[in-house]
Amino acid sequence: MSAAPLVHPASGPGVPSSWAEFAAGRLVRFARGLAVLVAVFAAWEALVILFAIRPYYVPRPTAIFAALLQTPAPYIQGFLRTLSETLIGFISGALFGVGMGLLFFRARALRELVFPIFIVSQTIPVIAFGALVVLWFGNTLLAKAAIAFYLTFFPVTVNTLLGLESVDPRQEALLRSFGASPGQLMRRLQFPTALPQIFVALRLASSLALVGAIVGEWFGDTVGLGVLLLQGMYTENVVSIWATLLVSALLGTGFYSAVAFAERVLVFWGAEQ
Amino acid sequence: MTNRRNVLAALAAGVALLGGAMTAAPAADLTKATLRLKWLPQTQFAGFYVAVAKGYYKDEGIDLTINPGGPNLLAENLVATGADTFGLSGGLDSVFAARDKNLPIVCIGISHQMTPFVFVARADGPIKTIQDFKGKTVTTWFTGANHVLNAILTKNGIDPALVTIQPQQVSVTPFVDGQVDVITATRYNEYYTIKTRMGEEKLRTFVAEDSGITFPRDTLIVSETTAKEKPDLVKAFMRASIKGWKDAFNDPKGAVDTVMAIAPTLDRAHQEFQLAEAKKLMVAGKVAEKGLFWIDMDAVKVTQELFLNAKVISKPVDLAATFNTSFLEAIPLADRKP
Amino acid sequence: MSAAPDIIAAVPRASGRTLQRGVLGMVLFVLAWEGVARGFQLPAYTLPAVSDILASIYAKRAILFTAAGFTLTEAVVGYVIGALIGVGLAVIITLVPLTRGVLLPAATAINSVPVVAYSPLILLWFGIGMPSKFVMVALAVSFTVFLSTLAGFDRVDRRSVDLLRSFGAGRLAILWRLRLPTALPLMAAGLRVSTVRSIIVAIVTEMLGAYGGLGWVIYQAVLQIDFVQVWGAIFVASAASLAFFGLIGFAERRIIFWK
Repeated sequence: MSAAPLVHPASGPGVPSSWAEFAAGRLVRFARGLAVLVAVFAAWEALVILFAIRPYYVPRPTAIFAALLQTPAPYIQGFLRTLSETLIGFISGALFGVGMGLLFFRARALRELVFPIFIVSQTIPVIAFGALVVLWFGNTLLAKAAIAFYLTFFPVTVNTLLGLESVDPRQEALLRSFGASPGQLMRRLQFPTALPQIFVALRLASSLALVGAIVGEWFGDTVGLGVLLLQGMYTENVVSIWATLLVSALLGTGFYSAVAFAERVLVFWGAEQ
Repeated sequence: MTNRRNVLAALAAGVALLGGAMTAAPAADLTKATLRLKWLPQTQFAGFYVAVAKGYYKDEGIDLTINPGGPNLLAENLVATGADTFGLSGGLDSVFAARDKNLPIVCIGISHQMTPFVFVARADGPIKTIQDFKGKTVTTWFTGANHVLNAILTKNGIDPALVTIQPQQVSVTPFVDGQVDVITATRYNEYYTIKTRMGEEKLRTFVAEDSGITFPRDTLIVSETTAKEKPDLVKAFMRASIKGWKDAFNDPKGAVDTVMAIAPTLDRAHQEFQLAEAKKLMVAGKVAEKGLFWIDMDAVKVTQELFLNAKVISKPVDLAATFNTSFLEAIPLADRKP
Repeated sequence: MSAAPDIIAAVPRASGRTLQRGVLGMVLFVLAWEGVARGFQLPAYTLPAVSDILASIYAKRAILFTAAGFTLTEAVVGYVIGALIGVGLAVIITLVPLTRGVLLPAATAINSVPVVAYSPLILLWFGIGMPSKFVMVALAVSFTVFLSTLAGFDRVDRRSVDLLRSFGAGRLAILWRLRLPTALPLMAAGLRVSTVRSIIVAIVTEMLGAYGGLGWVIYQAVLQIDFVQVWGAIFVASAASLAFFGLIGFAERRIIFWK
């Protein structure tokens, strides 16, 4: 990361010259993406027919879409349920992560005391706790959100801490010499500097939260994409597995894009890509 | 177009789900209770879903939620801790294992009166009798079915060590493709899949009962606390469940509809087959004279012997404390008969 | 900036005091756990005491070590495959920029499905033996390594590239001389983070179907209502992850000595 501008970031360069231009650009990209998607599905369909691949391995996309249209209810309900679990877990995990990052930044002793436990906690396969999570949270949305939270908070903590520590001490000294309070320092310099790092973690966390929600649904639930996957696997309903994968992809991409979009809007000064 | 209507209905349902609490507003005098299944929703559990759909539990004053199982969940554990009120758990194997580990659970009924597993080989293959298992590859689940296999082999004078016994895949493909000589199948699930992929005439099945072994499965359990403190709740649950099952037997189409409303991605033909098979398992044994969910203590004792020999349990369990037929017997026999 | 959070960098510089506090934190945590489990006499299915878990690990060490070996084999083989694919893809994109427009969206599309969601399909395709775990781990590892490596390659200063190019350096030379050294720290971060993931993914896949391994032990133990054994397997899994993590971290310090 290059040095952050000393001035308040809002006045920095890099903002698209007009929103209309920005929107038009997005539209073109969207149309192109759609065209690629259609081409991919067409090629897939052709390959399956051409090589006579058994539907047991890879079904034709049309068969998958037919299955989706035939019984859309479980997929739509699953999408919404998994989305809400992911969102709750992600948001709470992100807030907790940023909070812990700030806390660790301020209180070094605490950080040294707790950080190793955090690291160890991340080496534990959460699926092993299925029964425990159900015991503690019951068969609620919260149980899944808890797993999503567990997978989300750590990367955010780490990157918040790293981001805060990457602040140039000279800039800090300069602001301090102008009489900036610790709160002002945080708001004006440290947090904006850390934000790009935090967003990197948030993007990663967005997919981890989804993983958490899906795995959480393996512990006895009736609605959700994880439930559909499990059901598809044990009834060897490969078409249903693929349909669920496509819906998961939609959810994953959508959520990731939303986070990336928030990043572009909020962190226009430090975006690298 | 129906499809669009379906989508809209599903969206509405999804929004309602997000709304959460709005959907369920139970009357104040209903007792909340849950039933934890051993596995995902399917017609193996149709009677319970029918009883919920027809309000039989509500009529008995119970607001029942059915929680499905999963690959890493154990009904015994969730019932013992009070996370779930009732459980339809693995079977006598898991009940014995739980009591052996001092989990305070009580078995109040048995659903499948005979062994739900069959061992399947190819009709045109080298395996004609149990004796031919020697030196062949047999896959089975290490979640109960392995005890049945070992018992069958021992009973027929075969050392299980002479048979290559492997954990079974989630898929029956290795058997269909001929990589495995004998596969374990539940009569209601895998057997259907193999049958539809290979044709029934190509298959040879081996049944535990032919070797004089019966392995009752799908046990109804409650915690000791519930059994002691809320006997009326347990009786009411049994009454409503039996009513639901009898309805499911009388109207299988309707029962399949009820289950498919919960899990619409299931295959209807398979589910109809499954319900018919589940019925056969549930009305077997002494059920004709003793009624559904009857606990046949003779069969229980034989199974305990089997577990002791297989070292599944370290010592005999207190059968009187583990099995309790009083809740069943509180219901008139005529009502319990299928 | 890395595509994956750099855990090592966030660990305070290892001074004696830091180490002391870290150990103190762990000890306090374990004591609190032991105290809660013993004090409230929690049953094993809620939370067993640490001492009971350790005793069980010792008693069942043969089973657990075999299982850990099984899982580690799956994780390491899958990890190596995944890392090679990840770095390979990044190299291809850098050498042949034309492929970026295809490979990057394709990789992103595959990654947009959470890795665990592939497990049912992978298990049906590759069976419940080791190959399905290799594939799952490779899938999980390759994307992280790919993104962090690519981010590293892209991080180089444009002017340096132009300068080298003006001296007549080709793409390969620029990759080897300039991009690779610049990218190494980021690559290393990606590789390090992937170690822990690889073991977790192997275990998760094992729990859905396997012939052995820690996930299989956990699954069996749950069914046999042996919760102390479940925790024992979790402890061993955690230790294996930390060892793998430490090993890669050590290799990194040896290779990127200038960091």
